[in-house]
Amino acid sequence: MMPKQLISLTLNGLPRELAVEPSWTLLETVREALDLTGPKEGCGTGDCGACSMIVDGRLITSCLMLAPQAAGREITTIEGLQKNGSLDPVQQAFIDAGGLQCGFCIPGMVMAARHLLDHNREPSLTEIREALAGNLCRCTGYTKIYEAVQLATERMAAR
Amino acid sequence: MRTFEYHAPQTIDEAVRLLQAGGAAARPLAGGTDIVVQMKESATKFPYPEAIVSLDRVSELRGIDFSESEGLRIGAGTTMADVAASPLVRERYLALAEGAGVVGSLQTMNMATIGGNVCNAAPSADTAPPLLVYEAQAVVVGTNGRRTLPLGDFFHGPGLTALEPGELLAELRMPVPPANTGAVYLRNTPRKQMDIAVVGVAVALTLSGDTIERARVALGAVAPTPVRAIAAEAALEGQPASDETFARAAEAAASQDARPISDIRASVDFRRHLVKVMTARLLVEAASRAKGNS
Amino acid sequence: MAQETKVRETQRTDANGHHAVGQRVKRLEGAAKVTGKTVYADDIKFPGLLHAKALYAPYAHALIKSIDTTKAKQLPGVHSVYTATDLPHYNRNDSNRRNLIFPDKEVLFYGQPVAAVLAEDPHVAEQAAGLIEVQWEVLPAVLDPVAAIEPGSPLVRDPLSDVDRSEERGHVSVDTQETEQEGAPSNIASHAPFKRGDVAAGFAEADVIVERSWKSAMVHQSYIEPHSTVADYDITGELKVWTSTQAPFYIRDELAQAFDLPENRIRIIATEVGGGFGGKIYLTELMVAALAIAVKRPVKYIMSRKDDMLAATPAPFAHIDLKTGMTKDGTLTALEARLIYDSGAFPGAPMLAGCMLIGGYYRCDNIDIQGYEVLTNKVSVGALRAPGAHNATFAIESHIDMMAKELGLDPLEVRIKNAVEEGDLMPNGQVYPRIGLRECLEAIAGSEVWRNRRAVEATPNRGVGLAIGGWLGGLQPASAICCLNPDGTVNVTVGSADITGTNTSFQQIAAEVLKLPLEMVNVTSGDTKTAPFAGMSAGSKTTYTVGRAVLLAAEDMKQQMFELAKQRLEVEPEDMEVAEGRVQVKGAPDRAMTFQRFGKLSTNFGAPFPVLVGRGAITARKSAPGFTAQAADVEVDPETGDITLHAFAIAQDAGFAINPLSVEGQMQGGASQGLGIALWEEMQYDEHGRLLNPNLLDYRLPTSRDLPPIETIIVEVPSEEGPFGARIVGEPSIVAGAAAVGNAVFNACGARVDEVPITPERLLRALGKL
Repeated sequence: MMPKQLISLTLNGLPRELAVEPSWTLLETVREALDLTGPKEGCGTGDCGACSMIVDGRLITSCLMLAPQAAGREITTIEGLQKNGSLDPVQQAFIDAGGLQCGFCIPGMVMAARHLLDHNREPSLTEIREALAGNLCRCTGYTKIYEAVQLATERMAAR
Repeated sequence: MRTFEYHAPQTIDEAVRLLQAGGAAARPLAGGTDIVVQMKESATKFPYPEAIVSLDRVSELRGIDFSESEGLRIGAGTTMADVAASPLVRERYLALAEGAGVVGSLQTMNMATIGGNVCNAAPSADTAPPLLVYEAQAVVVGTNGRRTLPLGDFFHGPGLTALEPGELLAELRMPVPPANTGAVYLRNTPRKQMDIAVVGVAVALTLSGDTIERARVALGAVAPTPVRAIAAEAALEGQPASDETFARAAEAAASQDARPISDIRASVDFRRHLVKVMTARLLVEAASRAKGNS
Repeated sequence: MAQETKVRETQRTDANGHHAVGQRVKRLEGAAKVTGKTVYADDIKFPGLLHAKALYAPYAHALIKSIDTTKAKQLPGVHSVYTATDLPHYNRNDSNRRNLIFPDKEVLFYGQPVAAVLAEDPHVAEQAAGLIEVQWEVLPAVLDPVAAIEPGSPLVRDPLSDVDRSEERGHVSVDTQETEQEGAPSNIASHAPFKRGDVAAGFAEADVIVERSWKSAMVHQSYIEPHSTVADYDITGELKVWTSTQAPFYIRDELAQAFDLPENRIRIIATEVGGGFGGKIYLTELMVAALAIAVKRPVKYIMSRKDDMLAATPAPFAHIDLKTGMTKDGTLTALEARLIYDSGAFPGAPMLAGCMLIGGYYRCDNIDIQGYEVLTNKVSVGALRAPGAHNATFAIESHIDMMAKELGLDPLEVRIKNAVEEGDLMPNGQVYPRIGLRECLEAIAGSEVWRNRRAVEATPNRGVGLAIGGWLGGLQPASAICCLNPDGTVNVTVGSADITGTNTSFQQIAAEVLKLPLEMVNVTSGDTKTAPFAGMSAGSKTTYTVGRAVLLAAEDMKQQMFELAKQRLEVEPEDMEVAEGRVQVKGAPDRAMTFQRFGKLSTNFGAPFPVLVGRGAITARKSAPGFTAQAADVEVDPETGDITLHAFAIAQDAGFAINPLSVEGQMQGGASQGLGIALWEEMQYDEHGRLLNPNLLDYRLPTSRDLPPIETIIVEVPSEEGPFGARIVGEPSIVAGAAAVGNAVFNACGARVDEVPITPERLLRALGKL
């Protein structure tokens, strides 16, 4: 067992300090040490996207980031999307459009959709399909996920 | 994953010192999209690392700059996403942006670095064929200072490179492509994204009127390393930029330059066939881009 | 994106006053899922929890000469190591995968678990598993089921005895038994023949005969959540298992038999299932329970993606030889088929379903169908959404197009002409109840994809293809409880795992019966100690069976309220009705009692009414088969073999769509899995039986870049017994994709690929380019 490393980071807007085992991934650390079990491990190899988080504004697969690499960074997980107790428009749109079934891919899928809309306020269907390609969903066939992102886009534009 | 020591140096010198101290048991970590997967599966092409030297804090490894005299310089720690989106790259090295822009998912491109892609030395690495047609030089740093070598000499085999223990790939340099050059990279994959190239082809053509003045062709996933297609280039240079020339060059690429194997992704036959079809198509596209129709 | 629901719209005009069923209702648990609050098995933690990691066999067939766990046990942090010899006693039967934890003498497939390590740190457990030293004697592996069927083939394993078919029966109810080949020295696990009429005469009559062989790859369910189980055997002697399963009561019964425990000392808590698709019935629970019993501490076992691909229960490879004949007018005159399903190292391949469907879509007087379930040294197979159906459908639906083409007939018209209807026979002589196959074909004719086919096919290398599919459905008893709360709200409790939004449909059903606003009804899936029995959530039967029980439970509670209201409302129950949260007198709605009043009067101190608990329990004997018609629009690159899916449409008979939002979701999801089978998915083995692509990079699930929005048309031909006419929904959607894409590819480029997935390489070979 190697000595743990003390790191500080900002998690869902709150500063945190913790001792991390370098051979643990950011995903494992967030789930086990910080008890945020929203992000999921579907493959552990960066191929499914269920563990997606936004780190310093960029969408990443947290199953491939080592815990100490998160030092000093600003991390948003699915648990950080709600604001003042209400759902993010993307979250609400997934519910309303029926863009979820088993739900296991959803924490990553919603982060990918949120990240897309952070960078592109009016994505076309093609852009939506490109942006979500790293997030596998086995239940929906994606149709209602495309509709959910389109619905979120419309609602955010209407504000 | 099994345990290891973890270091996060801030400078290239410090990183090199740490790698040197660790010897063969120390490995650099860039974006992690290859090495972390390999370590999880205990499937590294080298002994399981006892020490990991993460390069994510080494800011001097990141960045892209360009000058008319020196050409393009990309820090090895620059992410695929940044390479693919860079106006400097897109303007004169479009094929490289195309290669960097198809690696894995958006998430992969946000983590993976161009140096990592090169050092992982997969025959299918998507940035390698474009780097080869742009005649990239690898700048390597060790305790004895820097050395520069052509990228073609950098690849030694699947997962094997010219890096000695303690050495680090610092940057990639590419000369300014000659005027009237058009280049393109394309790969073939079963899925539209999230896949490994079955075959990757990069082409750079420099035209003088309708004559091919200079041709660079490179292939991915058809040999133990990404390779320049020397026979194809020979069939192109000095010839008219015509379908007949392109067909001859594509045939040469498939039958002489490609040395593919059969694996779970494709058979030898299929790979050779793709090299031929794709090379012929990309030569047309490169010629069109050379004429300013990109 | 056009979401067409034509048939439904025409029905809506008669407006029979439904306010809850038939509406597009959001999932009950939606907010929990989009915020990451939903608890899956891997999210459960306990003090003292030990993580289990298994060692998987590195050979497809080998003898275990010795196992040395010394080094593994010495690794700091390891709690214990278990092999076949030191597990606690359980009733083992090596013939059934589900009755065997670790083999002690012989491994039968690459990836078979042979030992497990327990440690508090999962990384330590994993590392220690790699330190277990096994001496192997490698035996020849039998991998090709077609060769394995021949007399004289090397044998896969010792003969079978006491084969248990209970799990397969959960997916489909068929009045036929396969003939077990127990005890005989053969690799054929079972055989089923179906004959009717005179096939030779039928072919003699035919104007066109097509004879061809069809192959479909072994594919993986690829739920995004791998198998995940936690078990605890505590001081009270109660065995608790939290597990990602579709079948909690089935697991309870199996574990009770395995450990000789009374069923009321076992509590199976089905955690939210992160995708099942038939693959999460009963697999890891026996091992984890045994380990928990051994160490008297909670044990968690989470399969990695690789573990799951090596050692779960994927769907079988099948090789199908098919010969069909048709007369000029498009009448199907004869059908002869041999279906070989590769079962892997244990019985369990869904061969029967394949036989029933290959000869069950179209009327045909002369059939001869021979089904074989064949053992090989590969991972044993399980169910994947309409198990066995896509393999058979790829064959027959390719043939229909080929014969129609040969005869110059329209592929849609030929299908409508021969499609089975109520009263027609299945291959086993069973009579079809009311079904909607013809209506699905008529609906797909109106889809954008089909209507545009002429224009699309005018473009070079584009093609549109059609295929049908279906599933007969499973049947199991079911029950439900409906309780009135003091504030007038209602709790419904069921024992079924909700894997597709069924609890939301139950909310709608109960709200409809009681004429309550949806938000006044809540639904819970209880565990096996707190909920009434339900069959496994498989075979597309949950809404069809448990939904009926919920309907009856709500009816029962309503009738109890009517009885109790007699005195106060001074009318007989038949003169009462429910409306807007009240029981009222028909025609005099101001003479009423609110649900809240009933709630108070039945729960207060000194309450005059007994507590209101509605009970619904059913036996399910009559199936409600579901059919689908699907159309694919593809573009082929004839030089590279690349296939691009431009559009896809599905029409499916749902009987009555209780929640169209979720019915569409089921149709689209199943269709996308069918497309995965058609174009990308294949478990690839080497000549030694080693799986080469145990990951989601090289085992290719379709991504969003690969799948266009799916045009979705709900057809409603009511079933006889289902709640409000609902019939099975979950499974038919996966069935037709492979054949529809195959037919579209042919129409695009003139090449017929006889093996799915239709990879670029296979297409180029069919085109003669390689």
